[in-house]
Amino acid sequence: MSAPLTDPALLTLTETAVAIRERKLSSVELTTALLKRIDTWQPKINAFVRTEADDALKAARDADAALARGEIKGSLHGVPLAHKDMYYSAGKIAGCGSKVREGWIAPTTSTAVARLEAAGSFRLGALHMAEFAYGPTGHNPYLGHARNPWDVTRITGGSSSGSAAAVAACLVAAALGSDTGGSIRLPAHFCGVTGFKPTYGRVSRANAMPLSFTLDTVGPLARSVDDCALIMEAIAGPDPLDATTIGAPAWDMAVASLSPRGLKIGVPTSFYVDDLEPDVAAALDATLKVCEQLGASIVKVDLPDQTAVAAAALIVLAVEATTAHAPWLRQRPQDYGAQVRARLENGLAYSAVEYLEALRWRGPALAAHLEAIGDVDVVIAPASRAVSPGIVETDVGGGSNAEATIIGITRFMRPINYLGVPTLVVPAGQSAGGMPIGLQLIGRPFGDETLIALGRAFQAVTDHHQRIPELP
Amino acid sequence: MPYEVTAERIRIMAAAARVQLADESAARIAHAVTPTVARFAKENLSIPFETEPSTFTVVQRQDIGK
Repeated sequence: MSAPLTDPALLTLTETAVAIRERKLSSVELTTALLKRIDTWQPKINAFVRTEADDALKAARDADAALARGEIKGSLHGVPLAHKDMYYSAGKIAGCGSKVREGWIAPTTSTAVARLEAAGSFRLGALHMAEFAYGPTGHNPYLGHARNPWDVTRITGGSSSGSAAAVAACLVAAALGSDTGGSIRLPAHFCGVTGFKPTYGRVSRANAMPLSFTLDTVGPLARSVDDCALIMEAIAGPDPLDATTIGAPAWDMAVASLSPRGLKIGVPTSFYVDDLEPDVAAALDATLKVCEQLGASIVKVDLPDQTAVAAAALIVLAVEATTAHAPWLRQRPQDYGAQVRARLENGLAYSAVEYLEALRWRGPALAAHLEAIGDVDVVIAPASRAVSPGIVETDVGGGSNAEATIIGITRFMRPINYLGVPTLVVPAGQSAGGMPIGLQLIGRPFGDETLIALGRAFQAVTDHHQRIPELP
Repeated sequence: MPYEVTAERIRIMAAAARVQLADESAARIAHAVTPTVARFAKENLSIPFETEPSTFTVVQRQDIGK
């Protein structure tokens, strides 16, 4: 183990799970250490919307007692987790980062959380998020902005703002986020953690708050690829409550453990490599060299015009989000923050023909993407052209330039949701100022495990993912 | 820009959706969405006649089991 057991909050998810199982660490010790660390960090970064200390400590005592009787629930036995406040747990508040759903008690439990609990984890609290997951920065006028643990004047990224900030600051070993237009990947990049957006249809979205049913995906943020794999093993697979998962393959940990030797890696010739800050470009170059050393071959790929793909994605997202929110938009528009209300109103602008053309084009667009990459296994691209910007400079509210600012920040994100392909973000460097840089490993449909395999091998020979921020 | 969304279009569509808009909002929305609508229109898509949204699922799953 890379961290001493005397400081259990600094252990990774994998290390934690093993230490509890081997009774080198009790669930109560771990939970107590995390709650103490949350008390210290929360005033600085605003990562949690609530903690549930009493319930968590009771669950920890129960887990320890079960283990003492020789009963192990699963791979996450006794591990406290916290998730974006949009995953429903029956009887618990799920505020969805909003005033509209303030105090709303979920009547049922999301499939992803139920599966994590079946593996032995329990709930430590709920994590900050952009209002209704409809913002890429981490701003939230209702709950206060989440702040980046590496520099609290900068954004976390969103919408899984609390998930990324909490994992980066070691307040929780792993957390669920959701990704409709970059909401796992962008915060992972900005906060220096590992984030995984699975193939659309690989993880059930049942009883998680919807944003865009065509684009929504559920996935983990954690401090290593190993940790993401542990979460994926628990949550992936068909669920009768989510039709998009029916017929999807079960998670294959053997493939996720293969050597990357022989993989073919593609590097885009345009779009994802345009106008990069020098530090980001250097991280990309260095990562490609590591991949070559790991036995992968590197080729250039000419992807179809990603600006058209991004436009289609934005139309689908806007119309579906506005449709879902239409009743509240009619009845209580004043209860939305300015930015989210403005974006929901934008969704009124697209015609039915534009929306359905964007939906019908999704299959042909994916086919064109697959034809362009040929037999390439993984495309590597930056998550963003730059490191995390300041909170003040990106606080655009509902002004006339808000949409342009958002499109700029999410430029490298949106096409991937439209194509539905899996993408792993791994920390791959840092700027001269010490801010994290993440890269996207973009896979083929249902090639999730191949990304995990490559990411694991990359993290076995690099240490970018092991950096931990100091208390600001 | 060859294609421009007008505030008038926004007013009509908001009314059809039964969502009240502030007077100044229609112009703001038109300004915000024009680049996206224009970019998508510029693609001048010629999608095969038989294509439907679920065609995506067929394409997505063609490699499963290979």
